[in-house]
Amino acid sequence: MRMSLKVNGQAIETEISPISRLSGFLRDVLGLTGVKEGCCEGECGACTVLLDGQPVDSCLMLAFQATGREITTIEGLCGSGVNDLQQAFLKMGAVQCGYCTPGMVLAAEGLLHANPSPGEAEIRHALAGNICRCTGFETIVQAVATAAAARQGAER
Amino acid sequence: MNALAVSAPVDMAELRATLAAEAGPVHFVAGGTDMLIAGRPLPETGLLIDLARVAGMAFISTDGTDVRIGGATTVAALAADCRLRVRIPALCEAAAQCGSVQIRNRATIGGNIANAAPAADLMPVLVAAGTRLALLKHDGTQYEAALCEYLPNSGHLITEVILPERGLLPRSAFVKLGSRQDMTISRLNLALLAEFQSNHFGVVRVAAGALGPVSSRLHRAEVALAGRKLGAATLRDFIAALIDEVDTAIPGRNSQLHKRRAVAGLGLDLIAQAMGLSPRDRLFEEAAG
Repeated sequence: MRMSLKVNGQAIETEISPISRLSGFLRDVLGLTGVKEGCCEGECGACTVLLDGQPVDSCLMLAFQATGREITTIEGLCGSGVNDLQQAFLKMGAVQCGYCTPGMVLAAEGLLHANPSPGEAEIRHALAGNICRCTGFETIVQAVATAAAARQGAER
Repeated sequence: MNALAVSAPVDMAELRATLAAEAGPVHFVAGGTDMLIAGRPLPETGLLIDLARVAGMAFISTDGTDVRIGGATTVAALAADCRLRVRIPALCEAAAQCGSVQIRNRATIGGNIANAAPAADLMPVLVAAGTRLALLKHDGTQYEAALCEYLPNSGHLITEVILPERGLLPRSAFVKLGSRQDMTISRLNLALLAEFQSNHFGVVRVAAGALGPVSSRLHRAEVALAGRKLGAATLRDFIAALIDEVDTAIPGRNSQLHKRRAVAGLGLDLIAQAMGLSPRDRLFEEAAG
């Protein structure tokens, strides 16, 4: 079937199998390998992308359902560089093996979009669908809190 | 064998026409969060209908006497709806505790019901509220049925979830217990809707999930509270009734011992939430003691 959507700001029109997962389409057809496939059952969050700005598990969404929608992957968050949130992850040591990081960053972006100044409990609740097996989560929560505080400061 | 075809109707009229015109098997997808779990077979033939674009299937109407919710309304929308929280806070609470933010942004109330998981978090609240469903058959006819009469394998589409006014009691609560605090499948969940005036319970409805194949009312627990004064003695009777319900529901199961202890604590948390009290209030210590 034919579908059209926007991925990282770019309009795309393509043929797609009706039962292709969005994660597979992004990785295998568009080559956006920042989208990680972990569990394929919505437990790990490694495949998180933003669908019209909201975090979703791309492994649990059929690609054709993204017709007419806008998808943001980690590759589209800040062009070729890293944004302030990604910089905070680096600064706080919140990246070890890095497999969970794209999903974690996009889930955090979704949170900061909806709630620009979250408390620690709110950050932990928002990231509950993203599993990291290396860092122990402390530095990830600190990174999100640091980026949130910096953004709030920049707005004042 | 014909390959799987896809349809994405934009409104109810197109949905009805699409259904009526399809002679082969029909599959529905809305959020897809249950359908696409790894290892589950995906449809290969027939017609797959995307419900996520159907105008008139994603709404929350709280203005009338009954609360009406479109079948394709997301769990995130339920959790965030302030007017729904005024009418039935327990449903918003249950929605807020479903899965992760990623799941809630896609999963729908109709899917939660149709998937019929024993631990589905919205179900105890809906059961306690005496929910009715508006259903659409393949021939385009629409009918209403009580939630407890709904057969998930019927293939009939849940277009609306109706919470009748008489079921929307002024106090409500939802609590769950899982293997961790967030993003967890309920090992046990409880919902309560109740009248409460002058420190006395009136009509009470209690339902539990993950105690059997489907969520169900706990009538003995309801009797333990109905018409009685809120106090340690009443709560002790309530806990005893809850434990009795567990013993009746899962006799001899490996989880029986764990759940009969868990339900006691969860039951007190349920009352605390419904009354707006701290679970550490002395009343609950006395009841648990």
